[in-house]
Amino acid sequence: MTAGQATNLGTISISPRAIATIACQAATQSYGVVGMAAKNLINGLANALAADPTHGVVVRSERDRIEIDIYIVVEYGTRIATVAHSVANAVKYQVERAIGMSVASVDVHVQDLRISDTD
Amino acid sequence: MQQRLSARYASLDGNALRQGVEAAYTWLKTNHKVVNNLNVFPVPDGDTGTNMMLTMQAAWEEIQAHEEGSLGTIAKAVAHGALMGARGNSGVILSQLWRGFARAIDDKDEIGVDGVVEALAEARDTAYKGVVRPVEGTILTVSKDVSQAASDALTAGVTSTLELLERVVDAAEASVANTPELLPILKQAGVVDSGGMGLFFILEGMLRSAYGLPLDQTEQATHPLPSLDFESAQDSVEPGQDWEVIVDFRPNSEMDVSDFYQHLEAMGTSIQVGEWDGLYRMHIHVPDDTQYVPIDYIRGLGTISKVAIENLMEQVEHEVGSSDGIEIHTENAVPGSVAVVAVAPGPGLARVFTSLGAAAVIEGGQTMNPSTKQILSAIDRLASEDILILPNNKNIFMAANQAAELTVKHVEVVPARSVPQGVSAMLRLDRENDLETNLGQMSDALGDSRTGEITVATRSVELDGVNAEEGQVIGLLEGELVVCGNELGPMLLALLETADVEQAELVTLYHGKDLSPQEANALADLVRERWPELEVELVDGGQPHYWFILSIE
Repeated sequence: MTAGQATNLGTISISPRAIATIACQAATQSYGVVGMAAKNLINGLANALAADPTHGVVVRSERDRIEIDIYIVVEYGTRIATVAHSVANAVKYQVERAIGMSVASVDVHVQDLRISDTD
Repeated sequence: MQQRLSARYASLDGNALRQGVEAAYTWLKTNHKVVNNLNVFPVPDGDTGTNMMLTMQAAWEEIQAHEEGSLGTIAKAVAHGALMGARGNSGVILSQLWRGFARAIDDKDEIGVDGVVEALAEARDTAYKGVVRPVEGTILTVSKDVSQAASDALTAGVTSTLELLERVVDAAEASVANTPELLPILKQAGVVDSGGMGLFFILEGMLRSAYGLPLDQTEQATHPLPSLDFESAQDSVEPGQDWEVIVDFRPNSEMDVSDFYQHLEAMGTSIQVGEWDGLYRMHIHVPDDTQYVPIDYIRGLGTISKVAIENLMEQVEHEVGSSDGIEIHTENAVPGSVAVVAVAPGPGLARVFTSLGAAAVIEGGQTMNPSTKQILSAIDRLASEDILILPNNKNIFMAANQAAELTVKHVEVVPARSVPQGVSAMLRLDRENDLETNLGQMSDALGDSRTGEITVATRSVELDGVNAEEGQVIGLLEGELVVCGNELGPMLLALLETADVEQAELVTLYHGKDLSPQEANALADLVRERWPELEVELVDGGQPHYWFILSIE
């Protein structure tokens, strides 16, 4: 199901994949996010091979309602809740800015932590 | 003395760090609004200054529990507090900087200059590790430049931690000023990076405390100088003021900013004062023949380095000359409050909406409808998130509605169908209230006035029982053709007659650009003679095609 708008010339439709790419960009540029995680293992393997730009993002859109699920890996030692919160904000802001439609929800799932070094 | 000083600053111990953190927190608290003003992204919790301040506050509270402690203990406590208290992106990055700093110190009792250099490098590395694609031109870049300056200082043989801090603060300042070169969005918005600025205040606070300078001095200059760059400061046209004067100067003694403001307020309007490293910039609009007054005044305060005087009247004329849906931006938009974008068909009407508090005016109307894009760009450029649009013409409704849908900001359209309705609505604007309340109040006000228009028939037509020949003068009341004839004066009176003007209290006549002020005044006198009880106001609207737009209240 694509998100879309009607104009007087026709319709504009935006695929979930396009939205997912924007969301993925926004998430990976957020501080504290060190990677995107797969929703499940099989996807993870497939994506690891293909370097998918929408890795770790699931977009559902139903008429005007856009819902985004985002699966991230966070740096160990950061405050996870704050990182997740700013990811949700960044994703919502960037997607809305790019496609000009409002995003109903952004659910952030922290799938893993990366431990860079020991404290 | 010199020896005692150098002994005192030979190393960093727990006590010095504690003092530094307290100073950093206090100085950031004093300046957090300056940092908040630098926000580019309109995300809900995006107040960088507040976020960083609260993060530092948590760090400071954490060390209160450690009255006496080794450097390692204090550093760990700071890192722990910052982590627990981290708010927002910038807060998380700040907590990572402290975490790296503390890790490098480990459980040492004190460290020398080389130790500090190492800790700053570790802080930088830890912060950079926290993100897949670090964006340059942010607090990360500032932390990198700070670390580089520290290591250069060590190479140059610096052995005092105070001298190291001085160099670090200088580097942070230069790095912050350079952020717009690295991050285009900052340049577009005309600001420096807010997180970087916050880090600069943290470091500067430590230095001020080492110098024994006050930390709680409130700066009234809330705009940091880089955000008021010389060229863009000159952009803001404010009709009704004749000269714009901008002066850069370095005061001879400590500035009393509120006293300075008071003096300026006596001279003119649109006052802005910026401060950067002891250099002040003053921006003011003053009436004709007084443009040298602020310069003379400032000459008594310090050394002037740059002066720019511009004739605003000439600017206005120039912009009217190229009038093709141009926007006049004013300074009525305050982040967090409701801003109004009005469409006005002439420069005089634009001035009316500006004086009533519109944050942006787009020129356009009956025959030159602004595009959705023009409205959208006006919306996007305003600092406010909640915006009301006054289309002031039913032909612009659609473009206005479209613009409202296309932006991420909260935008509503007040359905004003004419300039008088728009003016009535503006009078009800209450920026203390929220968007919905204002929308309701302003929509209710649309019925407060009736609209009349006097123009020329562009073709022969029989409409609403009136027979008009091409080229005749016609009068419309609330959009309906009611009178036509060959002369302007009688038609003006006939239109008002049809409108039962004796029941009204006030008639405002906005005369178009095709009438000279003298002609318009003569016509207004006709109305005054006919209805002596009526209050008649004449305003130069500057609209094309329409000799008069009338507001009947």
